[in-house]
Amino acid sequence: MASIVIMPKQGLMMVEGTLTKWLKREGEPVAAGEPLFEMETDKLTITMDAEASGTLLKIIHPEGDVVPITRPIAILGEPGEDISGLMETASPPEAVPAPAAGPAPAVPAGAPGRRVSASPRARLRAEENGVDLTAVPGSGPGGLVIERDVKAHLTSRPAVTPLAANLAKARGVHLSDVAGSGPRGKITAADLPGETPAAPASRSTRAVPMSGMRRAIARNMLASKDANAQACHRMNVDMTAVIDLRRQYGDLGVRVSYNDVLIRVCAKALTDFPIVNASVEGDRILYHDYVNVGNAVSVPGGLIVPVIRDADLIGLTGIAARSAELIEKAREGRLTEAEYHGGTFTVSSLGMFDLDDFVAIINPPESAILAVGKIAKAPVVITNPLGEDELAIRPMCTLCLSYDHRIIDGAEAARFLQRVKHYLQHPVLLI
Amino acid sequence: MMTYAQAIRHVIQQEMRRDPRVFVMGEDVEKHGSVFGTTRDLYKEFGPDRIRNTPISESAFVGAALGAACAGMRPIAELMYWDFAFVCADQIFNQMAKTRYVFGGNAKIPMVLRSQQGTGRGNAATHSQSLESIFMHIPGLKVACPSAPADAAGLLRTAIRDDNPVCFFEHKMLYTTQADVPEDPDFCVPFGKASIRREGADVTIVANLYYVSQALEAAEALAREGISAEVIDPRTLVPFDYDTIAESVKKTGRLVVVHEAHQNNGWGAQVVSQICQMAFPYLDAAPVHLGAKACPLPFNPALEAAVIPSVSEIVAACKAACYVS
Amino acid sequence: MIDKQTGLWIYNKMHEIRDFEETAWTLFTENKLRGSVHLYTGEEAIAASICAQLTDEDLIASTHRGHGHCIAKGAELGRALAELMGKATGYCKGRSGSMHIADFSKGNLGANAIVGGGIPIATGGALALKMQNKPNVAVAFFGDGASNQGTFHESLNLAAVWKLPCIYVVEHNQYGMTVPSWQSTSVPDLAVRSAAYGIPGETVDGNDVAAVYQAFARAKERALKGEGPSLLECKTYRWRGHWTGDPEVYRSREKVEEWKTQRDPIRRFRDYLLVHGLSTEEELDKIEKAAAEKMEAAVEFAINSPEPDPAHVLDDVFYEG
Repeated sequence: MASIVIMPKQGLMMVEGTLTKWLKREGEPVAAGEPLFEMETDKLTITMDAEASGTLLKIIHPEGDVVPITRPIAILGEPGEDISGLMETASPPEAVPAPAAGPAPAVPAGAPGRRVSASPRARLRAEENGVDLTAVPGSGPGGLVIERDVKAHLTSRPAVTPLAANLAKARGVHLSDVAGSGPRGKITAADLPGETPAAPASRSTRAVPMSGMRRAIARNMLASKDANAQACHRMNVDMTAVIDLRRQYGDLGVRVSYNDVLIRVCAKALTDFPIVNASVEGDRILYHDYVNVGNAVSVPGGLIVPVIRDADLIGLTGIAARSAELIEKAREGRLTEAEYHGGTFTVSSLGMFDLDDFVAIINPPESAILAVGKIAKAPVVITNPLGEDELAIRPMCTLCLSYDHRIIDGAEAARFLQRVKHYLQHPVLLI
Repeated sequence: MMTYAQAIRHVIQQEMRRDPRVFVMGEDVEKHGSVFGTTRDLYKEFGPDRIRNTPISESAFVGAALGAACAGMRPIAELMYWDFAFVCADQIFNQMAKTRYVFGGNAKIPMVLRSQQGTGRGNAATHSQSLESIFMHIPGLKVACPSAPADAAGLLRTAIRDDNPVCFFEHKMLYTTQADVPEDPDFCVPFGKASIRREGADVTIVANLYYVSQALEAAEALAREGISAEVIDPRTLVPFDYDTIAESVKKTGRLVVVHEAHQNNGWGAQVVSQICQMAFPYLDAAPVHLGAKACPLPFNPALEAAVIPSVSEIVAACKAACYVS
Repeated sequence: MIDKQTGLWIYNKMHEIRDFEETAWTLFTENKLRGSVHLYTGEEAIAASICAQLTDEDLIASTHRGHGHCIAKGAELGRALAELMGKATGYCKGRSGSMHIADFSKGNLGANAIVGGGIPIATGGALALKMQNKPNVAVAFFGDGASNQGTFHESLNLAAVWKLPCIYVVEHNQYGMTVPSWQSTSVPDLAVRSAAYGIPGETVDGNDVAAVYQAFARAKERALKGEGPSLLECKTYRWRGHWTGDPEVYRSREKVEEWKTQRDPIRRFRDYLLVHGLSTEEELDKIEKAAAEKMEAAVEFAINSPEPDPAHVLDDVFYEG
């Protein structure tokens, strides 16, 4: 019985993938679990294994095609099998190695033939609660998933941090098998076994019209501009104390970057201003009880924002260590999905490019981003201990906070920025 | 406290006092006071002109009621059994129902056609049918089905004051049921407003007439098994209050409609169809529709009981809808 | 005895009815009318003679062959024709066509497309008149075919028992659709059926205005005296088929011609008016001409009337007031 191989969805945000390499030729046998093709998603290159054994009868999409998720890309079956019927249902679109026009069609998740049998009400509850119905055992007639099954699934589902949930998905870990160490058994990222397999670096500069990453960036940035009521505030900060702090750490043999300090400062300020750490979903504001600060990193071919999770908890040295690791992975294209998703705030520094200041675009679903310019000596008026005004030369830096005015008011954003400035000028408060 | 029959008689009396155009015509309504006593002794107050015995000529007197309504009266015509509607079907379905519309809206038809129906008294095939679905099917007739004394009073008053032909369905086994009836001489139950007779969370049971009591009994049995049933009486089939039922189903996710009328094309099928459209995403189980089997109603009590839905069938249907064995 | 004013009223109405029916026939052949159209041509004397004795307070119920009764009871030709054409300005807003013209304000409880369907309704109208103590009568018009329906027998019995001021007028035009009455009806003279209900019955020449007029006057007088209903049988003949398009295989052309040439009620009444010195040729010609002009205006009105708006098709199923 021939079956269709689809472009699999590999990550929450994935809407399409680029077929980078077929590992089998048409007519070649393949065993279930054996690598079948390589693909590039938003930001990763992944090798996909065959789900069934058989012969690769037909490659619908050649290498280089950009294919929306769940669309058929190949047909597996017995040699000589008539696949004309399947080909019709597969209705291969014109194999254009160009970006597919328009958004991907709304296709239910899951492979064809694996349609979940569920009552309309069960579907409604699952959708409301973000439950994957394929994971819910049905107790109705013929295994029909009914509402109470979804409810039971919800109550039995362990509490889990979003980061851990994302990681578990990426690592293929069943959360029900994981014991949580967080409050009331909540599963955190630390509880998850294994490491996300690192994908080989893909530094391809092939003449693909637009890479998955570029397309993702383009989509995200445009979506951000479209969806957010973006406004920004600018503030100058005296970096004297930060420079001093870095030097003290340096004396201890610990390398801490300006960015690390900024992330630490922002993480603390974010716990003071939960709304800046929140995000918008439809008509609801999602307040996160965790603080994950993204660090925009320029990489070949684009930009990626690895996320320092629990930035409010792991301390400056923790941040420094994690950020160094992530930056390295980012530059090598080895970031896993979990490492660049789940952020609640982003810090972007372009001071090394000699920018005095700049305006960044919010990285959705986050609600704010801090753009940090270069640190430069500048004349400032200060008040000396005698209460007299005098000119001084100070290392100054301009911070520019872009924020989503839908949920963050101008005054609130200003207070947040003021708080960031205060922490930067009095880093002792970070302890 | 008043019985269902007394409530009907009481409202007829009050409305006849209130409006001299209102009068009763039907078989055995005068001295006999109608078979179930719904006009008992009213002739003493209103005389034989306004409590008017008719010949056993359903076509003539139902048609005459229609003619009198066209000519400024407000008749309450009484058929002894709803089964006899077939004797005068033309006057009901071709004349009463259509007069206003076919005359381009140039007619008001303020008349009530009352009768009783249903099983329970061994009246057999031609005196036990439940026929309200047919009246719902033909446009132009309002259809009221009181299940309790207060509803009988409130709906009948609304019917008598309505300027449209109203078919008023009583059930022969309800006449002796007793309950409080509001004394207010203007107490009306609006048409098109269902009554939630019992609140519940797990399954919505919709029933009318005698089967409201059966549904309530089933709900009681279900409660003992931990299933909470909501019981809704639509009270009028035309107009029909689908909204209340849809809201209930959005809450419970399950719908069981039960009536004594035959299941085939019974009004419950229409309810199921509408609710599937209005509340489909909320359904957790296929809606169930129970009604009398496709068989003329037999005389022997055991045979009769085998044709109409039983309380245990209602309970079983609700449990099946709740996936409880 | 018919006075001059009444005579001229009847003569005019007969012409209006005939012009209307023949115009309807023409429009049907021109495909400007559709549906069932049953014409009253040849039977005009009955409706005109009876309605001449009714006011707007008196009630009638009519039949599928009802244009004559409706016009005689005061229907405007334009609105009636507009209804036949399905126009918004028709008596029923274009919903009913030929067979349901009604105007309660003129005492017309409506034509009725079911054979015998209107008889109980007229009876009920009479019941209302009696209960309201009004000095009026109700008239049920129907054909010989309807006299075999249960509603006829039930209604006569009921009206007799209740002594209702109802006059049952059977227009015996010899055919129930295509079946001759001798094949369908137990007695040649339907008036004898009144005996079964203990009420007076009378058979008259339905094409003789004076005979119909006088017989109805007697029935009406009895009704108003509270003595109850009467059955009045008017023998007549329909010139046209049962419907427009009837191939008329059940009767001969000769017989139709005989009724047209020998027993035309209009020509006979014209002679009556002249013989009795109630009118002059000039006066009657003037009436004919006026009726024809009125009909032309009605055609103009109906043809130029708007079609009904389907957006309102659901209006009036119920009174919403």
